[in-house]
Amino acid sequence: MAGVEFENLVAQYYEPLYRFAFSLARDEADACDLTQQTFCIWAAKGHQLRDVSKVKTWLFTTLHREFLGLRRKQTRFPQVELEQAAPELPVVAPVATSGHDTARLLATLARLEDIYQAPVALFYLQDHSYNEIAEILEIPLGTVKSRLARGLGRLQEILADEPVGLPPEPTNL
Amino acid sequence: MNLNEAKTILLLYRPGTADAEDPQVAEALALAQQTPELARWLAEQTARQTQLRGQFRHMPVPTGLKEQILAEVVAPDRIIPWSPRRWLAAAAALVLLGGLAALWWPHHPGDDTLDIYQNRMAGIALRAYGMDLTTNQPDPIRAYLAQNHAPADYALPAGLQKAGVIGCAIEGWQNTKVSMICFRTGRPLRPGQASDLWLFVVDRSTIKDSPAPGGPPRIMAVNRLTAATWVQGNQVYLLGVEGDAATLRSFL
Repeated sequence: MAGVEFENLVAQYYEPLYRFAFSLARDEADACDLTQQTFCIWAAKGHQLRDVSKVKTWLFTTLHREFLGLRRKQTRFPQVELEQAAPELPVVAPVATSGHDTARLLATLARLEDIYQAPVALFYLQDHSYNEIAEILEIPLGTVKSRLARGLGRLQEILADEPVGLPPEPTNL
Repeated sequence: MNLNEAKTILLLYRPGTADAEDPQVAEALALAQQTPELARWLAEQTARQTQLRGQFRHMPVPTGLKEQILAEVVAPDRIIPWSPRRWLAAAAALVLLGGLAALWWPHHPGDDTLDIYQNRMAGIALRAYGMDLTTNQPDPIRAYLAQNHAPADYALPAGLQKAGVIGCAIEGWQNTKVSMICFRTGRPLRPGQASDLWLFVVDRSTIKDSPAPGGPPRIMAVNRLTAATWVQGNQVYLLGVEGDAATLRSFL
């Protein structure tokens, strides 16, 4: 029974978790490791979760913490510039309405300041609510909205290569 | 709320989600219904958002990732919703046991199982890590590890003593130091690859389900490594190689 439930959990979440990990790490091997490590931690600690409706948030929070730990370690590791890694990024069939492929999207995401990258990725993946994003990133709701507004505005500016006419520093959210 | 404020708020709006229930978004949407200029901007913005969401969701996921996770992660116990009565019973038991356990049980934060340790160390080995010390001499490696209070009194298996050492690094686990000694199997390396054989040594008390001392090495796949784990003295040894079990055994 436990095996079936775990298999269902993996089937339901491994793809969005991997995409979130890849959005943050921009490296396939790191993203696979982060995804696997998240389920490994779930296997050891998931039973402690009291509210089963929080499984999704728990998994994304755990992955984000693991990523932060990985990034702290990488201060000791050689950094690979995205331009250098571009040939290794996956090639995706272009979305019919889009002129940008995933590699370019990730390259654009990488140009955002670090604090905006995770909220923006979560915003576009899985339809996380603002509250869920706040829980996953462990920051206040108002901060989530501010970071989303700035991050999304900047992302669209870069993608469109033209300003979208927004105030640069919204403060009233 | 003016137009600019409304646009800033509506940047966060995703049609078909619960976003419209947010009071600020609801107010901005109401303003858009009354303002043709804002309504046009919102229509364009919504189209851009839909396009970007599609792109994020079309990121390819490596084939076989699910199977790899299921093969390497042991299924946990079933989730059982906790009733208030169970909580009270558990709390009482915890109070009793907690006091006793604190007296003699060394404390470590969570995530201290062998599975997690193995996966974390394998992840380090497989990424582009930097060695703290690069040398092909064993003695400076031991001296460096000892100087930095990492396990340095490790015993190398006979097979590993014949492998070429190239350096070491100190990693972290459960607030303690892990010695990572890097070797080469002698097979061709990929471009940019420095090592393909790694030994991790950590204090046994940091892994709550470490194997019994003196037993034969357990060999298993960990991430993309083949790894052997054993306990000798008070230390847990993890030897990982990018290769098959036969290759690994030749270094034990």
